[in-house]
Amino acid sequence: MAEPAAGHAAPHSHQARYLVVWVALLCFTVLTYALARVHLPGAWAVLAALAIAVTKGTLVALFFMHLWEQAGANRLVFATSLVFVALLIGLVIADNATRFPLANPPGSVGALPVAGADRDPPPVAAGSRTP
Amino acid sequence: MQASPLAHHFESLDKQAHAARLAMWIFLATEVLLFTALFAAYSVYRFLYPEGFLQSSRSIETWIGFVNTLVLVTSSFTVATGYGHASRGDGKRTALFFGLSVLLALVFLGFKAVEYTHHFQEGQLPGPFYRFEGVKAPGAPLFFALYFLITGLHAFHVVVGMTVLIVVGVLAFRGRYSVAYHVPVENAALYWHLVDLIWIFVFPLVYLV
Repeated sequence: MAEPAAGHAAPHSHQARYLVVWVALLCFTVLTYALARVHLPGAWAVLAALAIAVTKGTLVALFFMHLWEQAGANRLVFATSLVFVALLIGLVIADNATRFPLANPPGSVGALPVAGADRDPPPVAAGSRTP
Repeated sequence: MQASPLAHHFESLDKQAHAARLAMWIFLATEVLLFTALFAAYSVYRFLYPEGFLQSSRSIETWIGFVNTLVLVTSSFTVATGYGHASRGDGKRTALFFGLSVLLALVFLGFKAVEYTHHFQEGQLPGPFYRFEGVKAPGAPLFFALYFLITGLHAFHVVVGMTVLIVVGVLAFRGRYSVAYHVPVENAALYWHLVDLIWIFVFPLVYLV
């Protein structure tokens, strides 16, 4: 965890590193495209695509954006934004995943049938449904 | 050469560069959160309407998104190369590589235009304007509302990024920056990498899953 003062101090070339990262990004893009064509079952497709996206994003942030050798404050700023990304998306999904079905909009997963749709045939059945 | 780029309220070029860099990172953090709000909206509706989102995602041309990802990743590489030349004081090469990146960005926008035209013809439009016959599942109009919001906001960022690259590229060509001070080139490159970074997440969410 050496922390060089700043990236601009040494004017040595990063060109080889850029080239390697670029080729890696192209390969990951082809890989994620190929995986999507295979149609992995259920959640695996999302998981694989997101894992590859995170890997690519990390490569861009660390090497193209020089986060690898950035001063501490700049790293902290970016890391903080990622914490808020996790909070926002994580809490929002947790909220939706644990909701009482009535709170979900009609037509969505877990929602009650559209008003009246289940009541049409015998009117008696509807009474036993209501909580 | 021009006068020193040092502003009077900074002690040294080093401190000025440091402040500019930190401010850029703070700005990038706000940009990340701006897109995160849209991604959060996407996750909510994808969670509520998995079938509509799955079918809609499959109904759009994946290869355009794929080619655009390759184009944008490559433009990020040329921008990084341009910045590398700036850090060694070669403003002409910086301008060359930034120009190349702007051309790649134009290719990206060209594909985007083809894609949007196709959506308009097919009626794959957001909310109440949705007329696409191929996918009738609930949630499809919402998918396209989020699709146009996310890709539209991203395309706007591409246009802004191109403008920044052109301005900084021209200044670099004129020899405004040096080995000692080239933080504007660095910040322009950072902005472009962020545009690329966001697309890296847009691509799987919109086109693949």
